[in-house]
Amino acid sequence: MLKPVRTFRGGYEFKNFNGQARPVIIENQLPAMVTIPLKQGFGTELKSMVKKGDVVFAGQTIARDDSVVSSPIHSSVNGVVEEVRRVNYFKRQTAMVIIRTTNASKEIPRIEGCSLDWARLSNEKIEELIYLSGVSSLDREGIPTRFKSSIIPPEEVKHLIVHGVGSEPYNISLELLLKDKNLLNFLEGVKILKRIMPNSKVHLSLNVKKKNIIEQVAKLTSQLEWLDIYPLEPKYPQGYDEMLVPTILNQNFPYGYSAANIGVVILNIQAVLGVYEAVCEGKPFIERIIAICGPSIKDNLHIKVRVGTSLKDILAQRVKIETPVRVVMNSLLTGFQLNDISLPVDRTFSHVIAIPEKREREFLSFMKPGKTKDSYTRAFLAEMLPWVKRSPDTNKHGEERPCISCGFCERTCPVKIIPHLLAKYVQRNLIDETIMNYGIFNCIECGLCSYVCPSKISLMKIIKDGQDKLTMQGCDSAQCILPYFNLKGIEEYRGVTKL
Amino acid sequence: MRIIKNVIDNLNGLMQKNKYLKTFKPVMNAMDEFFFGTDKVTSLPHIVDNMDIKRLMSFVIIALLPVTIASIYFWGLRVLLVIAVSYAFGGLIEVCFAIFRKKEIHEGFLVTGLIFPLILPPGVPLWVVAVGSMFGVMFGKEVFGGTGRNIFNPAIAGRIFLTIAFPDIMTMHWQMPFSKGLGGFIHFQNTVDAVTTATPLVMFKNQGVIAPYLNLMFGQSAGCIGETFRIGIILGGLFLIVMRIVDWRLPLAYLATVVIFPYISNHLIHTQFALGGFQLLSGGLLLGAFFMATDPVTSPFTKQGRWIAGFLLGFLTVLIRGLSGYVEGVMFSILLINAFTPLIDTMVLKVRYKKK
Ligand code: SF4
Ligand code: SF4
Repeated sequence: MLKPVRTFRGGYEFKNFNGQARPVIIENQLPAMVTIPLKQGFGTELKSMVKKGDVVFAGQTIARDDSVVSSPIHSSVNGVVEEVRRVNYFKRQTAMVIIRTTNASKEIPRIEGCSLDWARLSNEKIEELIYLSGVSSLDREGIPTRFKSSIIPPEEVKHLIVHGVGSEPYNISLELLLKDKNLLNFLEGVKILKRIMPNSKVHLSLNVKKKNIIEQVAKLTSQLEWLDIYPLEPKYPQGYDEMLVPTILNQNFPYGYSAANIGVVILNIQAVLGVYEAVCEGKPFIERIIAICGPSIKDNLHIKVRVGTSLKDILAQRVKIETPVRVVMNSLLTGFQLNDISLPVDRTFSHVIAIPEKREREFLSFMKPGKTKDSYTRAFLAEMLPWVKRSPDTNKHGEERPCISCGFCERTCPVKIIPHLLAKYVQRNLIDETIMNYGIFNCIECGLCSYVCPSKISLMKIIKDGQDKLTMQGCDSAQCILPYFNLKGIEEYRGVTKL
Repeated sequence: MRIIKNVIDNLNGLMQKNKYLKTFKPVMNAMDEFFFGTDKVTSLPHIVDNMDIKRLMSFVIIALLPVTIASIYFWGLRVLLVIAVSYAFGGLIEVCFAIFRKKEIHEGFLVTGLIFPLILPPGVPLWVVAVGSMFGVMFGKEVFGGTGRNIFNPAIAGRIFLTIAFPDIMTMHWQMPFSKGLGGFIHFQNTVDAVTTATPLVMFKNQGVIAPYLNLMFGQSAGCIGETFRIGIILGGLFLIVMRIVDWRLPLAYLATVVIFPYISNHLIHTQFALGGFQLLSGGLLLGAFFMATDPVTSPFTKQGRWIAGFLLGFLTVLIRGLSGYVEGVMFSILLINAFTPLIDTMVLKVRYKKK
């Protein structure tokens, strides 16, 4: 059923950024070498089942452990294992299997037992297919199956939220993901998920601006009484689990824990498509669609790459090299900076964003009309020129100054805490229960407060420091959450190291 | 651009060599930052807003421009001199403290330096401007630790000081504005023996006369330099609100209370309280409500706190105007509420974060 438009208080809509990926997809050529991390997405790091010199084929399982929370990992090419070694991957030493491609065939063998007529398959088989394909490790808490791929079993899922809101400055194209047949596949995927999570209600949240897609989906699903469609404002950080739960379910979120702890599974559209492909086509999840965004990219489009392809293979030829560039993974507000382009992409990549690293100083920049400048305030010309694209860069655009209590940070904070107040407490080293009471542990690290601050104070970082110091003193987010929630799967959750 | 860069580089070079000149480093840095912006880059988030304090303050100044220009028309070119003196002496204190503290010079002064002259009587002697500006910056701001920590609005602090120290100068001599032709744009100031008159508020207090609203709106009344061109103030204030630089809650609460409250109090004590419309358009109310009570540093940061402060401000303003000997109700109430701001915020936070 189509529900009325919803949104939340606070937040900020990033409009009109230059370098949005066109809804076009091209296949990246098969890399000569892939580096496959043995921890991808949700789950613990696995041990390699292959060793140096082994011959592997694309889609072959190279790591699997049914006894811990995890999902299998596959080789993404036909080739020979060159090496298994640990590499610093996103600030963590992670084991990697390095495979040299020997056969350039693009064929991927199917997983046994898949069927286009999935309704005939048993639940067990479906879950097995999802698990074996590795798609069950996607998103914040994975897709629950009977194989410990998430922290709760599928029957305990009360709500399944599938979201394609796209609230970041750069978003993967919804039109592209749900083009033609993909839309039907996607809906099949949703039905499959409903089948393995029988006690769940399914909530489909889509960007309210994509009227076409919403209409089509609404028409196609009008018969399904267990499915609701929510058009949501694309206001950052609507795509966060922490915001989707209160907006859609009118329920409080156990900040610091995951949605799965309250029986909610949140997936994005690529994950659902992956489910369809796993169950109906038997495809292991070794390909990923990545949006290549940002003004420092020559041609903004989407590419389909094999997991383990190095960033170098993706970005070579694509980045403008005239000026220094910063490459960021997934989100300009919270994403990792990708300094080492020899690192591979894994299942969790959905965007690679390149923006100019702007160290040059701008003459009288504060007096410029600002035709391409984005701001929370309306004091730039860009606000009046909706057809002009705004160009982001990494300059700080101003000197750090004392807080003037302008309140921008409070107005945009999506979880209704007062960032500048907390920051003042932390900076004066007044770390005690007061700031816990003021909700310091509610911070979801969305970065909006740091974004809007005209005094250029790194609020998010200060708040995070405060949290760390507070935790060291023995106060814990658990104290704010556990008494008020009945959480599931806590033990497993503690067992899984957070990203 | 080149030229400025060269000048700054040369001066910097000079400073490196000379020990005494080195103390002026903050001034140089401020100039450097002013012209060339920053070369720092972000860490996380990777992008930040283009708004900075300089632009924020510039916008407040832009919003004040109509009023400033109109005030030159009404009171003569001398206004420019008053503004210059205010900037020079206030700036001096600011720079001294920056050097003394070895900190950067902050932009907040750019606004204070302009607002302060706007709330002085047109005939104010220049030395009084200098004293007031210095006092305001020093005791309104710097003694508390500089921008961001001050409790009182520096402009208000300076003005109140002058009112109390030199009541004669500050309250007795009011002029009628120019109203014909090019007015103040071609005159230095109104001839000294120009009609000395009283402000509309005083006239109401003494004689019960209510000035025509249209005159009040377009500046044809006696009053402080920048408070009479009310249409300009309203436009400037709305401009800031639309730009999201000023929060609308406090001005709305303030003005609404000032309009509504007199109707109630008029039933109790006649003649003491002018009616709402007149209250709204007289004195420094509009200037105060849009530009001074909303000064983010000295007003509550919580939304509820802003409502409360606005209401209290309105209440106090009407009371002071009606019942006390002073007509400067706006200034006194803002100063008073400034002092209560931390308390209001604390109370709001107490209620909001009550232990469950
Ligand atoms: S946005 Fe920055 S200056 Fe404004 S209140 Fe927050 S911390 Fe202070
Ligand atoms: S305080 Fe935390 S949740 Fe709020 S805006 Fe800042 S980073 Fe986001």
